[in-house]
Amino acid sequence: MTNHTQGALAGAPASPEPVPAGLGNALVEEDWDALTFRVHRSAYRSQSVFDREKEEIWGHTWLYLGHETEVPNPGDFKTRTLGGRPLIFCRDAAGEIQVFLNACTHRGTILCRHNEGNTKFFQCFYHAWVFSNSGELAALPGDDAYPAGEEFRAAMRLRTVPRVQSHEGFVFIAFDPDVPDLLTHLGQAAHYMSLTANIGPQGMQTLPGVQLYSVKGNWKLAVENAMDGYHFAPTHNTFVGYLRESGFAVTDDDQYAYDLGSGHGLLVLTGHNGRIGMVWEPRFGEAEKARTVEKRQEMVDRLGAERAAEIADASRILYVFPNLLLFDLEALTIRQLEPVGPGHTDVRAWQFVEVGEPQEVRELRIRTMVSFVGPGGLATPDDIEAYEAVQRGIEATANAADPRHDWSDMSRGMGNEKAGNQGRSIDEGAMRSFWRHWADRVGDPAGPATGAEPDAAAERR
Amino acid sequence: MTVDEVKESSVGSRIVRRAEVEEFLYREALLLDEWRLDEWLTLFEEGGRFEVPTTDWTGWDAASGGAFVTDDYDLIKARVKRLKSRKAHAENPHSRTHRMISNVVVLEQGDETVWITANFLIHRYRDGGAFTYVGRYEHVLLVSDEGLRFRVRRAVLVNEAMEPGARLSFIL
Repeated sequence: MTNHTQGALAGAPASPEPVPAGLGNALVEEDWDALTFRVHRSAYRSQSVFDREKEEIWGHTWLYLGHETEVPNPGDFKTRTLGGRPLIFCRDAAGEIQVFLNACTHRGTILCRHNEGNTKFFQCFYHAWVFSNSGELAALPGDDAYPAGEEFRAAMRLRTVPRVQSHEGFVFIAFDPDVPDLLTHLGQAAHYMSLTANIGPQGMQTLPGVQLYSVKGNWKLAVENAMDGYHFAPTHNTFVGYLRESGFAVTDDDQYAYDLGSGHGLLVLTGHNGRIGMVWEPRFGEAEKARTVEKRQEMVDRLGAERAAEIADASRILYVFPNLLLFDLEALTIRQLEPVGPGHTDVRAWQFVEVGEPQEVRELRIRTMVSFVGPGGLATPDDIEAYEAVQRGIEATANAADPRHDWSDMSRGMGNEKAGNQGRSIDEGAMRSFWRHWADRVGDPAGPATGAEPDAAAERR
Repeated sequence: MTVDEVKESSVGSRIVRRAEVEEFLYREALLLDEWRLDEWLTLFEEGGRFEVPTTDWTGWDAASGGAFVTDDYDLIKARVKRLKSRKAHAENPHSRTHRMISNVVVLEQGDETVWITANFLIHRYRDGGAFTYVGRYEHVLLVSDEGLRFRVRRAVLVNEAMEPGARLSFIL
């Protein structure tokens, strides 16, 4: 059996794997009589499924690009690959956000080879064509050998991505000009992004210090992991132990999962962790205890008691289909997923902080968040171990003699869901809603599930 | 002042030479490669720090940007306790690591500390994967009659990003 993960990483094409006809739908099976939900493991392994996702999802959905505060000043730029396409994310001389394909219009050379910086012009080193930071072809050597007039230059301006919109400073792009407006795509997820954006009285911002890492696992395993409260206690046993010793008793009680439609999902967590400035826990220290009281009053004065409580009292993990995870926990992290191959995902993570907060709070915030998340944290490495162990483990059942063995189970809590009860974070409902939407996107229009599907599950696909 | 003059300078009542720093770093590497983490912890002074900046780091302090690791002393102890547990799944079984340290330079000294830098090359093997971590140490060491201790232990990666599977679940 070929190891698809290794093959993909080595740049070699993964060997073809027979995929059940119909792709998406055939890979996700739910049975509301038997209360079973399962995903065919080729969904994580197969190059043909990956290619289909790249076309159907990454080619036709709003993708999270970055936050406006990453490019605060005119001329600021970042380069970043999204959906496999190298891009320039910049603020032009007039202060407008611009997103260009990072390829010279002349021959396709990578135009900007720096990760970040500030510039009025992007000059291609190859033939020295010069583009302004709003995309005009400003100069090209020997232009007397090109057709006279402005037509040629206009035709050769930098290629923009077809759609760019932002919500609360979160900038999204789409490679398909015909996608519905961003707010339509975000749906209920927009509200939860707004909650997080309102934590700081002067707003929120990203910081330098971006965690860039890659996992040998399919991107959907990272989504599942974030929407899966069931794994927290066993996988993060040592982190839960650390919190307990610091004087904070972690609990899974009163934690819920929400299907926000269009593949978006939300976990709302109380008792999971403290929240800097909002819910105190002993490891934050006594000074922070007093500040938490003051900050709550500030939030009540600014937003009203109800809104302040909605923002402050519970932690949230928001998944915006397909590539954004917003962790609003002890502190805040924005995580972006970039699929590279069936068994290879690039991850980028930013600290997201209150504008203008005191230095000692900022230091506490970063230290606390980094102690949990990222490849050097006390918790995320165990999540990465899980994605990678699944990616390796599912080779065991590929083309197995008994094809029933090549499925992963996500049935937990279906009885509860069928009864119409609010799903708990430790059930697998948020994973099921993700997979239902995924199946519809990569497969033919969904056929009915076996048995009577609850209306709530059906209407939110 | 030349590097040789710095090297011969005294800290408090005694002289710190490059050989002493090399011995300290080599012994630390041995402890880490052998996963003798309790002994490794004794190389820190109470209140010591452990930092691994992200790969875009340009020198900002701990309040100005994200990081891979920014441990105060409590977190260093928590990290050691975690890594000794069989429930630290990312390091159970432990990675095999093999550390090479070179280019040790004694940079500067204060009343009780010495600033040193050294290059590291760490090979790590796990689950059939081989990972290479390249960078430099920028340490602040407390000097006493008993020897050297970490006040700030900073490992600065030269890698552009963490390659697939190359997490920092071990001590860099």
